[in-house]
Amino acid sequence: MRRPNEVDFWRGFALVTIFINHVPGLFYERFTSRNVSISDSAELFVFLAGWSLRYVVGPDSAKVPATSLVFRLLGRAAQIYTAQILITMIALAVIAGAAIWLEQPFLLDWHNAGPVFQDAAETHVGLVLLSHQLGYFNILPLYVVLMAVAPAFAILDRISPWLLFGLSGILWATTLALGFNLPTWPVEGRWFFDPFAWQFIFVLGFLMARTDAGPGALARRWRAVLRIAAAPVVVAGAIAAWLVWSPTPASVPSPKLFFMFDKTYLSPARLIQFLSVAAVFGGLWARLPDWFAPVNAYLSMLGRHSLNVFCVASVLSLAAQIGRYVYGGGIAADTVVLWIGLAVMGYSAWISEWRERSPARSSSRA
Amino acid sequence: MARKIAGPLVVAGLSVGLLAATGARAEDAPALSAQCQAPAGDIAAPAPLPNFAAALAARKKVRVLAIGSSSTYGIGASSKSRSYPAQLHDILQKALAGEDVDIVNRGVSGEVASTTAERLRSEVAIDRPDLVLWQLGTNDALSRVPPDQFEQTVRSTIGWLKADKIDVVLVGLQYTPKFSRDQNYTEIRDTLFKIASEENVLYIRRFDAMRFIAKARATPTMMSSDDFHLNDLGYRCMAEHIAQAVIANLFVRRFRPAVGSGP
Repeated sequence: MRRPNEVDFWRGFALVTIFINHVPGLFYERFTSRNVSISDSAELFVFLAGWSLRYVVGPDSAKVPATSLVFRLLGRAAQIYTAQILITMIALAVIAGAAIWLEQPFLLDWHNAGPVFQDAAETHVGLVLLSHQLGYFNILPLYVVLMAVAPAFAILDRISPWLLFGLSGILWATTLALGFNLPTWPVEGRWFFDPFAWQFIFVLGFLMARTDAGPGALARRWRAVLRIAAAPVVVAGAIAAWLVWSPTPASVPSPKLFFMFDKTYLSPARLIQFLSVAAVFGGLWARLPDWFAPVNAYLSMLGRHSLNVFCVASVLSLAAQIGRYVYGGGIAADTVVLWIGLAVMGYSAWISEWRERSPARSSSRA
Repeated sequence: MARKIAGPLVVAGLSVGLLAATGARAEDAPALSAQCQAPAGDIAAPAPLPNFAAALAARKKVRVLAIGSSSTYGIGASSKSRSYPAQLHDILQKALAGEDVDIVNRGVSGEVASTTAERLRSEVAIDRPDLVLWQLGTNDALSRVPPDQFEQTVRSTIGWLKADKIDVVLVGLQYTPKFSRDQNYTEIRDTLFKIASEENVLYIRRFDAMRFIAKARATPTMMSSDDFHLNDLGYRCMAEHIAQAVIANLFVRRFRPAVGSGP
């Protein structure tokens, strides 16, 4: 098992935040970062997923053969896909179970599950194609797509990190200019996280994790300057979020998405503000006080098993919504929800750790 | 049309006159089917739609974004063509003769307003609709979203749409006996009414119109088998009510007539 480190710590932080934000109306939602930032834990999660890709790819000095790298990354994509299908099925059973048990059939429409039961034939095809995603279950489909193209990112990075940076940035900018996205089906609409746009922040995480060349090396050299430049952006983002202000399409020139705070298409303002937060808070982890050690150990443990914890937390946030429907919200009930959530997330990370440590399984690494 | 409904005859008469002046024919303004009759005060709380009116006057083609949750998607309808946006399209196409009305359905079942608000901004930025129909509230009530948080979400989105010069129609919660005395349900409904009147935004009082119809006429039912979502007829009435409210309010002046009594 890895020792606690900064990346795992922030991944754990993102997981807890995502859990809280996925229970609408939860009292503790008002304390999450999105109330003081125009970007949120989604950016952090995807950026760190890109950062972790660096560990899989390995340093440039100790190259894994390209074919084995491709198989490893595609295997990881398949694993995430499997996780998405599994948690979707469990979520559907939770929703259907609640509808049956509470004798309230209207619950079947929650979380975009309605079409699964009403238009079963089409929607089942959509579930497998990832073109039908349950509400809040839309990050893993993005992650599947990113991991499926990760071999291309890794190979481009080997040729030149600046080449990868340029191509990824051009794809992102083109996406914003034209507004293209993957469609949802059978429900008409678009993916909540546009993979063509969000690949850029994933690639940026991957590039920033590289210390010897490319944007990652450059950022490290200019770190002090970047931090000073980033501070006003963080403050401006906090003010905009606090005022709930965002530009309107009518007030900006075309292409509109460039100037908005759009989440689906990862508008530049969100991206720059996120990178500024990363520049300001990056490195802070090493200076955390001693009394913070238990929190550090807990969040790092979640971060080490982020896929497992994410899956458990997704189903849990749905269960919490149903619980709040039945028993009502409020500070007391929401405190119970929060602590159950933290405990179960911690337990699932601990179980994953224990399973990895057991000798019979020591060869496999999730 | 206006003679059939009790309520703001002056407003309706004025809008019919103005409709005629801008090319739409008054006799094509939608009449309510017998099963969907309800007092005008129960159908909508009026407010002007100046930007949509300007778009109709300026262009031969208008775009409407219908966004929301299961009632927009059409859970309970026998097919997608019976969802309220699809039926509304047919009604508006007839009523606004000579106009090409394009309605996009972006309903995602079981979604709370804060998520819809995020999607709404993307859709508006890309598709640039002339009118937004935002159906909301039910899932926030059932998810126990605190009314103040719901209010902040809705108000900030309305403010954003106003700054963007796009009219929005708020389509309220459905009536169902099961939740007619649920505290959260009532609070969210009251909040929505308050926001609509303070922001001077057209509000479709679905709960009141459905309750009126349910109490006045036991059959035929407007509900699907889960007794919560609408069936084809229910969506027909929803579309008719929205069409009538939109047409009647197209050319209302900024002054808000005192119609209706509380939420």
